[in-house]
Amino acid sequence: MMIRERNHNGVTIVMPVGRLDSSSASQFMSGSPSFSGNGKIVIDLSEVDFIDSTGLGSLVGIARKKREQGGDVRLACLNEKLRKVFEITQAFRLFDIYDDAETAAGRQG
Amino acid sequence: MKFQIDSSSGPHIGIVTLTGRVDARNCTELQNSFMSWLMDTSRFVFDCSGLEFIDSSGLGTIVSCLRKALDHNGDLKLAALSPKVSMVLELTKASKLFSIFPDASEAVNSYVTGTKE
Amino acid sequence: MKTLIVIREKDYGWMSSFFPGVHPLVVPICNKPFIEFLLDFAILAGSTAVRIVSDGSLNSVEAYCETGDRWGIELGYGSIRQNDSDETVMEKNRLFCSEDRVLVINGFIFIRYADKAGLKSFFAETSSGSLSRCSSGSIELTGIPEDVSAAPGTLPFSLTDLHSIDSYYRLNAEILTDYPSPYVLPGYSNEPDCHMGRNVVISKGAEVIKPVVIGNNVQIMKGAIVGPSAVIGSNVIVDRESTVSRSIVLDNTYIGEQLDIVGRIASGNTLVDPETAFLVSMEDPHLLAGMNKAARRQGLVLIRYLAHAAIALLLILLLILPYLFFRILLSVTAKWQTRAVTFYGANEGKSFTSALPSISCGGTTCSLFTRLSLDRFPMFFHVLAGKIGVIGSFPLEVKESGHGETEIFSGYRPAVFSYAEAEDWPADAGESAIVERYYAVHGTPAQDIVLTVKAFLNRMHPGEQE
Repeated sequence: MMIRERNHNGVTIVMPVGRLDSSSASQFMSGSPSFSGNGKIVIDLSEVDFIDSTGLGSLVGIARKKREQGGDVRLACLNEKLRKVFEITQAFRLFDIYDDAETAAGRQG
Repeated sequence: MKFQIDSSSGPHIGIVTLTGRVDARNCTELQNSFMSWLMDTSRFVFDCSGLEFIDSSGLGTIVSCLRKALDHNGDLKLAALSPKVSMVLELTKASKLFSIFPDASEAVNSYVTGTKE
Repeated sequence: MKTLIVIREKDYGWMSSFFPGVHPLVVPICNKPFIEFLLDFAILAGSTAVRIVSDGSLNSVEAYCETGDRWGIELGYGSIRQNDSDETVMEKNRLFCSEDRVLVINGFIFIRYADKAGLKSFFAETSSGSLSRCSSGSIELTGIPEDVSAAPGTLPFSLTDLHSIDSYYRLNAEILTDYPSPYVLPGYSNEPDCHMGRNVVISKGAEVIKPVVIGNNVQIMKGAIVGPSAVIGSNVIVDRESTVSRSIVLDNTYIGEQLDIVGRIASGNTLVDPETAFLVSMEDPHLLAGMNKAARRQGLVLIRYLAHAAIALLLILLLILPYLFFRILLSVTAKWQTRAVTFYGANEGKSFTSALPSISCGGTTCSLFTRLSLDRFPMFFHVLAGKIGVIGSFPLEVKESGHGETEIFSGYRPAVFSYAEAEDWPADAGESAIVERYYAVHGTPAQDIVLTVKAFLNRMHPGEQE
């Protein structure tokens, strides 16, 4: 799995590319220094074409860790497939989900 | 289920206090008890303030109690129906068979004054 | 133009006690799902794309509306969170809202209108801003119109709050008597106040009095009277000599013989008085009953059962000796106790009770006991009996207060092990429900076997995950 990062208004936007599943979840979880600390980050999921329960677990885990440390995670750009997984699992209840990453990053901090 | 005779206002009136549920499981008990109460009086008030639920067998039993009371030239009046019980009575049209009063004392009084509702 | 429909659980939550298991957006109003009225309005107002966003589940709405092809529009869905302000909602939908003017329908409201034709031009010529507001919602227009000619005079529509079962009941009655109706109601209609679905059988001696709306596959038996002002859903039988007037009968309902349904809402075996909001569940199927369609996917259920029973049997054989050993060992030291725990079963209203060992000691013995999952050993027999699965959701205990029921979700499948344990998810109830729901949809019997072994092994090595 490849992880791209960019910065918008001082907010880190993390962009995993590829499948977010049991083979890549642990790599993803340790894939960015921004996943710890009290900063606010955006995870841009536009390049994630598949997610399974382990992948969801990694997002939940990152969000939990960030919130415990006073930070926050917002998600952006879910494609139709991902949105459906979030819908049926009701994972949407745990995340702020935005249409685009820049808006998600924009009003933070 | 409690039975007592009220004769404070003159005639002997049997007041039956129903509680909880009247359904298939306990309606025979009511039926049998009613036969023995009929020895004492034929005028009844069923106080339903504690009655939470009634099913069709319970309803059938109460209707048959009414028939027997009428056969003995008496009556059976219902009092203090909860909204849910009265919905079941309206659904099954049983509410048309009974005189129904908001509380037990009004039902008792109606025997004395002869008012109907 | 586009339309954004924002609907929140706090506004529609009241409906679930009257229509359990049905999303309020697909609850029918005069036999037409509520969402269709909103879509009709959006389309008449000139929208080509509609997005529905909610802080609750939209699963069943999406299953019903799909991508909007049926209406010739582009239909999408989105999620917001419970405490999001209206402003945040707009930000979360920034891309959708940025390219065009957007009509925002915010709240659990019904939009009434009389003049269909005038809506489009009204919205095209109206300047942005809040247009109308009522206690449970509002209608707003964002973006800059191309050509604003004048401030709006009187609005060509009005909002009706849907905040109680009574408001729902009255809305049905109003639409039914509102003719010529601006709304398209389902069914054939030779007369303006009478809509009939397919396969409606009205027996000799039955009477239908307008205005009525009747769905598909309906039988009205001899001597029955339906109407005036009756809404009868699909798959309904009104049996002999019963009366249904000023009432709503929802889909899949059987109305027994010689009943009076006047001013009521009947749905399955429940009867509601809209005025007082009292609800009675009938226990006598000959009075009111739900008409269930035959259980679907029977084959898959059987295969699932076989897979689960096989692995349960295997685990029983594997664990019976250790179990008996510990039982004797702990009984000797008087540490053996059992506690009867009642859990919610897989089907609504069903529960099961298991006498689980609850041992009170620390140390290696106890830790080994739990590591081998012996604390759940008696539950394997429930799997053989087909009451629970070997892997699924954490079984929810029936509390005396009876409040646990709200936590039961549609994919709830109680089991000995939970998917969360198989995947080492955090054991937080809300989070583990996510993985349970995932497998409720994506799981297969073969996967279940693998995950059971994983869960079993994970319990054997606690604390070794990252």
